[in-house]
Amino acid sequence: MDLYLGKTALVTGATRGVGRIIAEHFLDEGAAVVGFARGEPTLTAAAYHHVQVDLADPMAIQKAFLGLHKQVASLDIVVNNAAVLTSQYAMIMPPAAAQAMVNVNLLAPFIVSREAAKFMRKSKWGRIINIGSMAVSLEPMGDSVYAATKAGLSTLANVMAKEFGPMNVTCNTLGITAIESDMLAQLPRDKIEAIIASLPAPRFATPADILNVVDFFAAEASSYVTAQTVYLGGVN
Amino acid sequence: MNRRDEILAIVLSALESLNEELDEAARVEIGPTTPLFGADATLDSLSLVSVIVDVETALTMKWDAPISLTDDRAMSREVSPFDDVGTLTDYILELLQETSPA
Repeated sequence: MDLYLGKTALVTGATRGVGRIIAEHFLDEGAAVVGFARGEPTLTAAAYHHVQVDLADPMAIQKAFLGLHKQVASLDIVVNNAAVLTSQYAMIMPPAAAQAMVNVNLLAPFIVSREAAKFMRKSKWGRIINIGSMAVSLEPMGDSVYAATKAGLSTLANVMAKEFGPMNVTCNTLGITAIESDMLAQLPRDKIEAIIASLPAPRFATPADILNVVDFFAAEASSYVTAQTVYLGGVN
Repeated sequence: MNRRDEILAIVLSALESLNEELDEAARVEIGPTTPLFGADATLDSLSLVSVIVDVETALTMKWDAPISLTDDRAMSREVSPFDDVGTLTDYILELLQETSPA
């Protein structure tokens, strides 16, 4: 369908899970895609450019963007998807694990969005989409830091929406539920299934569910949709 | 063109870009003494951010090195680098002497 012909999209955490689903979708729909991830690329396409970067390191992200200015003329869509999750009760959560979640889940999206906005400023067009989580609403025990970083992601987008609005850049957040992924595999299955069973739409998310909202946020017609968080599955 | 003139050209170009985005009544007079920040400045805060971003991007592309104009060092100086076009130019020249000596 070539929804994104002529557009360049950046997806963080593009090598697996939701990030890979989104990156593949953008490629299928005609976009050039830049993938930021810690590991080696898992996508092979002429229009795919992989950048190995440790998203926990702010300087590494800035250095990656310095290189990107030489590779691409514009950056139109950014999906802040990469995240790390350590579930542990607050009193025994290792500080290093908490810091890692803050760095990857919140600080990295801030820096990526900021640097991407500098590109988008030139073209006066942009879509920044943060991948949030139902954990913000459900607030499960063991996920104090994870849920806090994902909640912060929404607020980050909402404030950036005000700052970047004059540049025709929208900033929105998609709160996903559970989708089969490496991240989900870290959690007790029975716990996840109980949460899913309690949702108004009691099923796991599918790639189509996620891409539906990503496409909505990224659409040209959505220029008046900004500072919004949409949750899947009936979470509110 | 010496390095200071190159830097000045970048700063003035950023102000010209800003003026293109502003309504006629809000446009700034552009020159080496244009105030950027403080009581005499006519730029609002977001406009100054736009200028800083454009200048940083142009400097980074030209000298192939990341240049940040808004780190702790800039904020802690007695005379703000952002007082006017001249002070900003001089500050950038100082930074470049350290990161990319001529």
